[in-house]
Amino acid sequence: MEFLIYALLSVKNNSGKLKPLLAGIKGIFGESLFAVHFDTVAAIVGEIKKVDLTTDRTRAIEYAGVIESLTHQFTLLPMRYGSMMESTEAIVNMFERNHNEILQNLEKVEDKFEFGLKVFCDSEKIKAEVRAKSEASVKQSSNPELEIKHSVYLDYVNQKLKEHRLEELLMSYVDSVIAEIKLTLAQLNTFDKYRKMGTEKNIIDAVFLLEKDKKDEVLTMIEGLKDKYPGLNFILTGPWPPYSFVDITLI
Amino acid sequence: MSENKILFNTGSLDELSEEIGKITPPEESRLKLTPANADSGLAKLVLTLVELIRKLVEKQAMRRVDGGSLTEAEIERLGETLMKLEMKMEELKKHFNLTDRDLNINLGPLGELM
Amino acid sequence: MHDNVIDRSKDLTILELLDRVLNKGVILTGDIVISVADVDLIYLGVKLMLSSVETMEQLKSGQAIIKK
Repeated sequence: MEFLIYALLSVKNNSGKLKPLLAGIKGIFGESLFAVHFDTVAAIVGEIKKVDLTTDRTRAIEYAGVIESLTHQFTLLPMRYGSMMESTEAIVNMFERNHNEILQNLEKVEDKFEFGLKVFCDSEKIKAEVRAKSEASVKQSSNPELEIKHSVYLDYVNQKLKEHRLEELLMSYVDSVIAEIKLTLAQLNTFDKYRKMGTEKNIIDAVFLLEKDKKDEVLTMIEGLKDKYPGLNFILTGPWPPYSFVDITLI
Repeated sequence: MSENKILFNTGSLDELSEEIGKITPPEESRLKLTPANADSGLAKLVLTLVELIRKLVEKQAMRRVDGGSLTEAEIERLGETLMKLEMKMEELKKHFNLTDRDLNINLGPLGELM
Repeated sequence: MHDNVIDRSKDLTILELLDRVLNKGVILTGDIVISVADVDLIYLGVKLMLSSVETMEQLKSGQAIIKK
């Protein structure tokens, strides 16, 4: 039997609440959950058979559900689905080796939740606009095209150059939207992360770490943003446990 | 988990769920090697990395060309090499019967560079 | 029409959730799992630093700063 770790919690404030909370939650295979303690932190684990664990959509959703049940009462670091260790001793050793980093991350996410903002672009429309600007810039540029000799290789480079410039312009458009988002949310003083051009249409995939009660403020700000960008689709989700802000690999 | 986490959205939800579905391929970070697909499975891994590097090299080359610091002869040789690299890649893909979609294994943070 | 919107919202919530719990959160090991015949064997931690030649030259001469 192995131990599936759901989350790493901070128990410094309300350790008395942990046991009753765990008593009311079951793990993904119906197993009971318990805590492995180390200093002011605890790993929430369930004992399961490793061979039973597959990347099953339903199980993954239930796993996330366990984390969700814990997150409103305790500051925690959510584990990625499938995090297992062979024994409780191994878990304690893991805590020893990674204590500082775990504490730092818990401090970072204390009382905060993650909100996600995805921005989608009706890409043909935006591309047409950007392409028009690109043609204009090609005419103005000091290296317009390499005209002197026409060889198949220079033609190839010219073609690639056109595509490259189009991409650069698209990228700077995305950068300008991100700058606008940052400006809009500046007063919330959040941690933020952005991923650009994840797919052709998903031009921005952003996450923010905020106090939960800022939810309405964020909503209002994003609503304001949508009016500035009629060609873009915005989707705001949350509050989530801080999955995207715990970028640590435990050694 | 019945709580709805969608706080705000503009646009059609159909389109959005299709797009988010593309970004979220839980199975694709696994490379499954089986007896049946052993050589093409490994080829997929190798060609994904090679294609990643080829695209980065191409992008960097275009930045240099755009920067204006290269002579025409240099640009022409760059063009010849890049073109041959692209053609070679197409050959390899055909040989292993792999499409561009197949080569998009999620490499974690590197994946976004494609 | 209403039901469709509710279903879609649920779909989106689930997709967002799966993305987080499968691709994010604290990890015990590296990035890619290579499995052979359904048996997970190798974690491939892909940590590379790629930069342009110019940036590398600048780094060597102490001019450039690595942005995190």
